Amino acid sequence: MVSPLCWGCLTLLRQAPRTILPSPTAVSQAAAFHTSAAIYARVPAPRGRDSAVGYRRSTSANIKKKRKVSERARPPPVGERKALRKRIVLSNPNALEVEGMPELSEETMVDSRLRGTVVGLPVPMLDQLRAVQAFKPKQGWSIFRRPGTVLRRETLEMGRLFENISGEGEDRGVVIKRIISGQRKSGKSVHLLQAMAMGFIKKWVVFTVPEAGELVSATNSYAPLSDENPHLYVQNEATAALLSRTAAANKAVLSKLRVSQHHPTLSAAKPGMTLEDLAKIGVQDPASAWTVFQALWLELTSTSAVPGLEKNFTPRPPILVTVDGLAHWMTHSKYRSAQFEPIHAHDLVFVRHFLSLLKPGQDKPTLPNGGALLYATSTTTNPPSVYSFDVALKQVAARHAGVDPSSPEFPQPEAYSKTDPRVFEALSSPKPTAAKEGMLEHQVLGGVTRDEARGFLEYFARSGLLRETINDELVGEKWTLAGGGVIGELERLGRRVRVAA
Amino acid sequence: MPPLLNLFAARTAVPALRQSAPRHCLASTKAHRVHAHGITGQQRRWNSNSDYSRPDGKTPEEAQRAAESMPHVSEEAAEINKIIDKEKWCDGVPSSPELEQGTMVSEILSRDKEAQKHAPKVFQDQLKKGPSGSRSFSTSARPGQGEVEAQKDAQKESSSASASGSGSGSDATSEDRASAALVQSMITQVTQEATAMLPPGLKFPAPESLPRTEHYRKRYESVVDQFTKLMMRDGKLSVAQKNMSQILDHLRSAPPPNQNPRRRLLPGPPAPQLPLNPIAYLTLIIDSVAPLIKLRNIKGLAGGGASVAVPVPLAERQRRRAAIRWIIDASDRRRDTYFATRVANELLAVAEGRSGVWEKKEAVYKLGIAGRAMVGRKPRKK
Repeated sequence: MVSPLCWGCLTLLRQAPRTILPSPTAVSQAAAFHTSAAIYARVPAPRGRDSAVGYRRSTSANIKKKRKVSERARPPPVGERKALRKRIVLSNPNALEVEGMPELSEETMVDSRLRGTVVGLPVPMLDQLRAVQAFKPKQGWSIFRRPGTVLRRETLEMGRLFENISGEGEDRGVVIKRIISGQRKSGKSVHLLQAMAMGFIKKWVVFTVPEAGELVSATNSYAPLSDENPHLYVQNEATAALLSRTAAANKAVLSKLRVSQHHPTLSAAKPGMTLEDLAKIGVQDPASAWTVFQALWLELTSTSAVPGLEKNFTPRPPILVTVDGLAHWMTHSKYRSAQFEPIHAHDLVFVRHFLSLLKPGQDKPTLPNGGALLYATSTTTNPPSVYSFDVALKQVAARHAGVDPSSPEFPQPEAYSKTDPRVFEALSSPKPTAAKEGMLEHQVLGGVTRDEARGFLEYFARSGLLRETINDELVGEKWTLAGGGVIGELERLGRRVRVAA
Repeated sequence: MPPLLNLFAARTAVPALRQSAPRHCLASTKAHRVHAHGITGQQRRWNSNSDYSRPDGKTPEEAQRAAESMPHVSEEAAEINKIIDKEKWCDGVPSSPELEQGTMVSEILSRDKEAQKHAPKVFQDQLKKGPSGSRSFSTSARPGQGEVEAQKDAQKESSSASASGSGSGSDATSEDRASAALVQSMITQVTQEATAMLPPGLKFPAPESLPRTEHYRKRYESVVDQFTKLMMRDGKLSVAQKNMSQILDHLRSAPPPNQNPRRRLLPGPPAPQLPLNPIAYLTLIIDSVAPLIKLRNIKGLAGGGASVAVPVPLAERQRRRAAIRWIIDASDRRRDTYFATRVANELLAVAEGRSGVWEKKEAVYKLGIAGRAMVGRKPRKK
């Protein structure tokens, strides 16, 4: 057979229609090393979801299995679950009103005859306590008619300290510094709540950090403090939230105090404006929140006015600072620097400020008008386990007991263990030079006594929740089941209904 | 044979007894009475005694009568003394020989001149006359006096024997033994007095009602336990328990139900009291919608191949199981965020008669009534 193509001139080749895309034959010619043409390859079937057999799926005939039809297709709106989780209910209208229940007041907070009774929190104060986020969701406030706390030994002791600091005696203006720890459910956060309530009763200024972990979990915005301090970081929104809490809860106190110091870095702070307005500047403009906080702290720790502003000055009240979940501040935060290195929690100015208060002041006390620093560890917020912090707490206790740091009895970390020198440095608070300043203490909260447990269980019975006769046998049984009177466990046993069989 | 006692040595050994000589005597006499009955302190067993024999020889009826009647004059006086002096003995009851043996009227009259004037004439004559007869000793005996005398004799014998036998060292040991026996007798007296108040046959006071045990496998109510385990998915019991406690708290804090007159709960406490006892509330809700029967489809009862629904009775636990399954299934259709809230709201809906669970129960009953003629009939075999 003769080819139509003229081998001599190849003219026919040029006349062939040119296609834009290469034809399948051209493709097959291009892949010359294949033994079969690509055009003959089987086109793979489209992979449907049903036909796909994934890992660990049954390949057997799927005749009988019915597909579950989920009727609740739409998940709840964004934020609703969290709102429900964080909801705090303080009253149960079905519970019985406890007759003759005393209220927490200036008299009852020091009355040792009331030890073991449950005192109600005053109703007007509940808004303040809510504002400083004193209540936590799982503390069981929601089953009683009104919130109340048991007066245990530690509470009354704290009440007396607060009374002395606010009173006219020789202990006026003393600073107490405490780190509170204890096992799970032993009442550390409620102890802080009681301190806040007492602070509000005594008209102190109350600063709180309800969740210390939120400051280091990289959920707040952060930025370098300034060009001079590139390794320090400021968290403006967290600071604004602190100012907002403080301004809302301490409105009555702060609105009577006026600016009486010079604030060159803060032009918005006019002499004579109230401290409440000063705090609100930081709330409205989070960019200036840290400067505003420093100005507010300077105002509250001043003992006299600068020359020229004396008419604005009134004596400042004592300050209460509470921090819940201190262990979160004793390790690296989740933040990263520009070089993507972890930022230590002590490099955040917010954290650094509150930890520096634990150290004794240079020439005057850290809180010159007196007050209390109560920093509690937490077990509910999933705190990190920091070995250095555990040892440092033992050292704090030893130092307070008078053990010389150079003596062999002084607790030291184990050899070759990984320790964080910044933690030891932050908690190594020597004996203060100022007379009015107390030494850093370590207070361990344990279980309540049987008498206190009895008062607590009687409160359950009188609220109609525990339907049993409260006698020594029952109290002893519950006290033992609660691990020696751990109050959170007692609460759990008290709310569990047992019906006579 | 009673143990050897040196009463005078015991007084020097136990200084607390020196002031209370009468009490000491009493204790020892009581102790001896116990020994006379053949039960020593060490031999007493601490379980409930089945026989109602009492150490003081009283029958239970007598003890009951004595407890119900008014107290003796001197007992009352002792009570008042106790309140006024606030004095505490080891058992909290100051005792004296008057308490044990009573006070003779003549003794009271001899102390009280005022009472003598108002005494009955017989007594006054007796007092004036003095003891009748010419005996120089008394012939009247007090109960238990013979024992005391016998014991004193035995003591004298034993002390003389020990004095002759060995030196002063054995004296000291006998004193120790005597004081130990004395303390022992005091303890037995206290326990006897404590047990005297109990009804016969009980060692400890009876509880008013027996609560559920705290044993960790049986600590929950049976309804609560059943509900929890029916809510459990993938074997996660602790999650189910957490949900259960949330449900109970929801029932506790929700407003009391407005009952639908057509679909009432079973009779129980009034509605406003229900939230205070969430377990009773839960039980009432479940039992109210629990069906008494279930339907079993049996082929060939009515001829042909058609199956007929025949009602079958259910036990209590099966009834509850059916109701709980219905409630959990109905709660799946709710729009609440959390499972516990869905179930709790469904329970409240059942309590108020709004829930579809009631219709399920009514449908079962309707079919059951229709099929009740077939109960007990056997299917035909070809």
